[in-house]
Amino acid sequence: MIEDNEELAGTIVDRLRAEGHCVDRESDGNEANDLLRHSLFDIILLDVNLPGKSGYEILRSLRARGDATPVLILTARSQIDERVVGLDAGADDYMVKPFDFRELLARCRVLARRRSGTASNIFVAGGLSFDRAAKRAIVAGKDVDLRAREVQLLEILIDNLGRMLTKEEVADKLYSFDESPSMNAVEQIVTRLRRKLHDTPLVIKTARGLGYMAYVADDE
Amino acid sequence: MLPMTSKTRSYSLQRRLLSLMALGFMALLLIISLLLWNYARGAANRTYDLLLAGAALAILERVSPGPNGPSIDLPSSAMEILALAPDDRVVYRVFSPDTGVITGTTDLPVPSDMALQATPVFFDAPYGDPFRFVLQGRQMNSPDGRLWVAVQIGQTLEARHAQQLSLFLNGMTGLAGISLIGLGFVWLAIRRALSPLRQIEADLSARSPGDLTPVEEASPSEISGLFDAINGFIVRLDRNLKLTEGFIADVAHQIRTSLSALQGHLSLAVDSKDPKKMHARLVRAELQAERTVRLTNQLLANAMVIHRSDRATLKPIALKPVVRDTVAEMLRDSRMRKIIVTFDADQVADGEDIVIADALSIREALRNLIDNAIRHGPPDNTIDITLGIEDDALALKVEDAGPGIPEADRARATERFTSMRQDTAGSGLGRAIVQAVVDGHHAKLRLGTARKGGLSVMIAFPRAIGRAATSLFIIIALALGLVVPDGAVAQTITIFSATDTPAMAPVIAEFEARNPSVTIVYEEYQTVALHEAMLAGAAPDVVISSAMNLQVDLVNRGIARRLDMPEAEALPEWSTWRSELFGFTFEPAVIIYNSELFTPEYLPKEHRELANFIRDNAITLEGRIGIYDLRGSGIGYLFATQDAEQGMQSQRITEILGQSGVRTFCCTSDMVAATASGEISLAINVIGSYAMSLAAQDPRVGVHFLSDYNLVMARSAFIPKIAPNPAAAELFVRFLISEDGQHVVATQSQLIPILEVAEIESWAFSQLRAQKGSFLPIRLGPGLLTYLDNLKKSNFLEGWDASVRRSR
Repeated sequence: MIEDNEELAGTIVDRLRAEGHCVDRESDGNEANDLLRHSLFDIILLDVNLPGKSGYEILRSLRARGDATPVLILTARSQIDERVVGLDAGADDYMVKPFDFRELLARCRVLARRRSGTASNIFVAGGLSFDRAAKRAIVAGKDVDLRAREVQLLEILIDNLGRMLTKEEVADKLYSFDESPSMNAVEQIVTRLRRKLHDTPLVIKTARGLGYMAYVADDE
Repeated sequence: MLPMTSKTRSYSLQRRLLSLMALGFMALLLIISLLLWNYARGAANRTYDLLLAGAALAILERVSPGPNGPSIDLPSSAMEILALAPDDRVVYRVFSPDTGVITGTTDLPVPSDMALQATPVFFDAPYGDPFRFVLQGRQMNSPDGRLWVAVQIGQTLEARHAQQLSLFLNGMTGLAGISLIGLGFVWLAIRRALSPLRQIEADLSARSPGDLTPVEEASPSEISGLFDAINGFIVRLDRNLKLTEGFIADVAHQIRTSLSALQGHLSLAVDSKDPKKMHARLVRAELQAERTVRLTNQLLANAMVIHRSDRATLKPIALKPVVRDTVAEMLRDSRMRKIIVTFDADQVADGEDIVIADALSIREALRNLIDNAIRHGPPDNTIDITLGIEDDALALKVEDAGPGIPEADRARATERFTSMRQDTAGSGLGRAIVQAVVDGHHAKLRLGTARKGGLSVMIAFPRAIGRAATSLFIIIALALGLVVPDGAVAQTITIFSATDTPAMAPVIAEFEARNPSVTIVYEEYQTVALHEAMLAGAAPDVVISSAMNLQVDLVNRGIARRLDMPEAEALPEWSTWRSELFGFTFEPAVIIYNSELFTPEYLPKEHRELANFIRDNAITLEGRIGIYDLRGSGIGYLFATQDAEQGMQSQRITEILGQSGVRTFCCTSDMVAATASGEISLAINVIGSYAMSLAAQDPRVGVHFLSDYNLVMARSAFIPKIAPNPAAAELFVRFLISEDGQHVVATQSQLIPILEVAEIESWAFSQLRAQKGSFLPIRLGPGLLTYLDNLKKSNFLEGWDASVRRSR
């Protein structure tokens, strides 16, 4: 947690600790940057306006070092620079102050899930457990019969948990360059996967005209 | 209040009125100039028609009946009259409808419906170039009864055009001056008329910001509407100000109330002894805090949206990605999990969604619309977002399946602080923000009922030009590959010249030395043969001849190319014609004599003494005088006819020469040689340049000038229109008349330059300087055409034959 306002930082830290999380807090940009150089965290909550170094600069040097730790930006400005949120700039999400603490925790959980799903080979959500290496999904203790494309799709959705993916983006990740992906095929794979994961907390939400987003229902 | 910034470009009423008046004046000037142009043409025609009429009269007067029908002795006065238009070419013919053309050009055009009259008739007709003609007839008695004889004379239009232009420009200059003065008066009048406006300006600018009383001035009736409008605006401003004051009071009230409630809950919780009641208080306090946060957020958003619409942050953006990104971002919010969201922009192709807008404001409006739908609808609400094209607008529609707003309340829905429902208790600012964005984008807002029963909000943005249209700009880049004539390319020019090769050789050698890429082929002709060759259609690059009359005749036929050479301005006026024919030598006609027989003092001083001199020395001079053969030598004929123009003396001289058994020669060199050898004692009208150069080498030859007049001719050059290599030819002619070229002529050839070349001392030049006052240059121009008239020429030569050959 990198935030220079004592009151706000105190409440957030207290809330997170109450949930059973382990929180380190920094209030100075330079010190935070040094700390991030040497220590590993699961999630970074990052304020933008900081003494010493701005939150954007900290984020930039973090990503420049190849550190993929999820970062949630906290800002008081509603006009957030779109380039910061984009995939290339490296922030995973942002929230505008004042925010609802429940929403903050929900976003943190999504980021944590995304991170664990990417970093480790086993992704667990309620009755669902997915083994990335073995390409095996177990629901309620039973193997689910997944086709290769469905496994691929599941991986993609877990990597982008809580993030809207357009149908085109899904198709691009699902198919190689010389395969010509059909949007209908993508829809069919999504439908099949959703049916097979029906009883699990992993929900694949479809927003027509916008794309797909997966989230874990238990978390909210 | 935010300061108002003027977005429209300001303009000056005064300048606008003035420029309108100026446009009016210009239109008037244009009309007048058209009239003036026609008038000037008429005036120029009348002036120069007089020349044609005068020449026609002069010619008709000299028509006489003869044994073989009517005959004509062309008067030189006719051509001299026509030469008053110095640069115009001349054609003429004398004819009888009964016996055909008597002399002149046979194929002159005559309108078919024109009857012959005794008064002059003028008409325009093309004859190669545009010409103006006069046609005049005369009835005369002949052995066969009365007979019509007519003369037709044509002149090119150059002098007329020059006159017309000069009249026109003079007139226009005056008119332009008057127009300027008129505009000055207009300017004064406008200033005077606009003074009431300055009065209002003074009134308004002197006011204090709080003074919103109507303007009360005695206004002219034309701008009383403006006064009404200003006063109406002041009233509205006053009302608006009160509204804004009300808004600020409302905002203050809402925030204070909200904060008081929050404070109340919190202090009750602090004081509460019962943990259960305390918890209940805190839950309510949190809800109240949430409402306060939302209220503050929306007030800030409202202020931002209004601020941004004032700052003109609008620029062309693609709406589709803005909408999609905003919705995708909102979907991250966990409140949205159960809500079904669709986005349909299939109707709008990429590039068709360009609007002039501020992305941030649109995002804020859309966020508020979706937020309203979430807040007022059920947890499993459906929100359909559509982007479509309606007429000329891009329609962004947000529909939901919530309760909607009854039609009667819709107008009120976008006002501030009118939340439609108490239980969901928004601040009512959400739709006010949307309204502000709509106003800031000149868009239209329409509320309706959604397909799924809820509220439908449509914002119609005026569409900017599509990308396809903008890309239609075609940029034509014309790469003009101008090939500059390269000096290194070898060129050959052909010169047809009636000048001895040795005389021209040094000039040509010097020119070739200076222009290594140009080679000159020099072909020597006799003057008459050269003239005939040119009439037959020869196409040399340069034509040079000493026969000025024949050169004028060729140029008068319109075969010469116009040359704009700065060097030509140094030439004496008599030695150029029409910027086409250029004289480059100064060659007096002289008498040469055998100095062993005569002393200079013994020779006659003036032309009129010449006849007596020959008669007095008849025995010595019998068969020992040389002159040019007029039939073979163009220059001889030129000198002889020009002498004839000077008076009756020449006729007598010719007769006496005939009696004294005069000998005729083809060329100057033979004549000079014969004089030197003593074969003849005297030669008359010899080209001075050759004579003097020979005399300088041969002491037996003397050169004699007369004191009354000495004719001077200039060798002249022109470039035919059909010259194969005109650019190089022009280089040569320029060199010929340039100071450098003239210097070469003076020092290296036996010719005499037309320009006075300084710093050269020679016997010939001192001779010339001594005679300066007596030189009578022959003028290049239509005057030389008289003796080229076939009839005139044959009569003259017959007379000459009769005199000179009588002795044979």
